[in-house]
Amino acid sequence: MTESTAALVPEIELEQISMQYPAAFSDVLALQDVSLSIAKGEFVSLLGPSGCGKTTLLRIMADLIQPTGGRIEVAGKSAKEARLAQRYGIVFQNPVLYDWRKVKQNITLPLELKGVKKSEREARAMELLELVGLQKFADQYPWQLSGGMQQRVAIARALAMEPEILLMDEPFSALDEFSRERLNEELLSIWSKVGNTIVFVTHNISEAVFLSDRVFVLSPHPGRLSAVAEISLPRPRTKEMRNSEAFFRLIAQIRDSFEGV
Amino acid sequence: MNELSGLSRLRFLPAFLWAVALIALWEIASWLLLEVLQVPMAQSKLPYIHEIVSTFGQYGNTLANEGWVTLTNAALGFALGAAAGASLAVLMSASKWMERLAFPYAVASQMVPILGLAPIVYGIVRDEQAARIIIAAYITFFPVSLNMLRGLRSAHPYALELMHSYAAKPWTIYWKLRFPASLPGLFSGLKIAAPLAVTGAILVELMGAQHGIGVIMLRNLYYGPSHTYMFWSTVIVGALLGVLSYLIIGWIERLAAPWQPEFRSKGGGR
Ligand SMILES: Nc1ncnc2c1ncn2[C@@H]1O[C@H](COP(=O)(O)OP(=O)(O)OP(=O)(O)O)[C@@H](O)[C@H]1O
Ligand SMILES: [Mg+2]
Repeated sequence: MTESTAALVPEIELEQISMQYPAAFSDVLALQDVSLSIAKGEFVSLLGPSGCGKTTLLRIMADLIQPTGGRIEVAGKSAKEARLAQRYGIVFQNPVLYDWRKVKQNITLPLELKGVKKSEREARAMELLELVGLQKFADQYPWQLSGGMQQRVAIARALAMEPEILLMDEPFSALDEFSRERLNEELLSIWSKVGNTIVFVTHNISEAVFLSDRVFVLSPHPGRLSAVAEISLPRPRTKEMRNSEAFFRLIAQIRDSFEGV
Repeated sequence: MNELSGLSRLRFLPAFLWAVALIALWEIASWLLLEVLQVPMAQSKLPYIHEIVSTFGQYGNTLANEGWVTLTNAALGFALGAAAGASLAVLMSASKWMERLAFPYAVASQMVPILGLAPIVYGIVRDEQAARIIIAAYITFFPVSLNMLRGLRSAHPYALELMHSYAAKPWTIYWKLRFPASLPGLFSGLKIAAPLAVTGAILVELMGAQHGIGVIMLRNLYYGPSHTYMFWSTVIVGALLGVLSYLIIGWIERLAAPWQPEFRSKGGGR
């Protein structure tokens, strides 16, 4: 951990987190001794090849599964308390939309649970649908949308209540390159407005570099934290930076850290 | 528009031809039995359809009135049974303990032959209306309960995780996730049970009642060959009531849960 981030208030702290799924045949751990600290308001990425435990780590942070070893704290309390205080917004690796709700009603679901007024909910949903470019599909059922469109609905739903901690599991992996880059920029602008903490899972190096303050590189078998890359590109990030020397250098540096594995 | 109606007419053409062919075949067979082979009581075995149709014309009112009595009683019992079955499913889905307690009895209840149960119930309540309703409810209860339970359990683990991530209360999870997810199961239970409830009501009527399609069915059976066409008419009304109950449930399902895969238009979507 570098000094600049250590000085900030830690939002999520993992200490020696291990995860062994009960059904696993071999004794390969899904996660082994992962320790990291994420500051409040920080944007971090978890980067690694398929099966290295990214989703597992995210689900531990979200208190959806309990680690078999180690300790996790969210804002000084347990992850469970953070979940019960409704501080999380999650974009799962699959869209997880409810079949019986139209697109708009899927987005208003978290707002309903929070008791937001109907007119306000609907207005908010329309705003978000516009953000993800789906305002024309508000009254369609999820199955009438393509996979990438469904995933955008899931993103809009996670953003609906402006969560303090946003956990995103490969949210843009089902999208084409153009939408992905546009939504990368949109996500950063939302983040700078809301000021929430974002943990972003991806296996796309340039996406991780473009978005993050720091990139945690994970390696498989067992899932371990193998490197941490500090992304020193200035904020706000712009399209032009994607072509900058510094950008490519960072990508190369992270790619090298993979080859060291 | 023209093209569309033409298409839909074409769609029903095979079904229509089948029906015509079947009726023709039936009439011919009926004639063979009666006039050529001279089988005893030929009309009781395979009556002329045109005679039945004319009986319908003559006694349409009686058939409709008695059929209505049967249908309303069956419907009331069906509604009660469905409510009880759905409630038990909710209890069983909420607690394993409750399921272990109630499930064996629910299964055992299905082992009791209705034919034996109906006179017992009638002997206890001594009221044809009540007995009909109870038997219809009894028959409805099990398929609804079982299918609803499966439906309540069918909520996808990811969908449940989403609710957990919002720290949703158990009641909210039921209301917003488990109930909607259970609708397909509930409706398949209801669709199995609806015709059975009608059959159950008719069965009670056969045991002795004043009104209902089962009553005139039995009466015309006693009167013998001279009332064959009326007897057949009552059987057909009974069958139609079963079909009608099924169609009504199917129609309600389309309104209540139109999002199900089987209602999705083909060719579109993904
Ligand atoms: N529910 C589970 N039961 C048993 N093993 C599991 C379970 N979930 C994940 N695993 C195992 O844990 C390891 C890490 O899985 P995880 O889903 O966290 O990977 P990932 O990094 O998210 O991969 P991907 O990029 O493909 O999504 C894998 O080897 C997987 O087989
Ligand atoms: Mg994953």
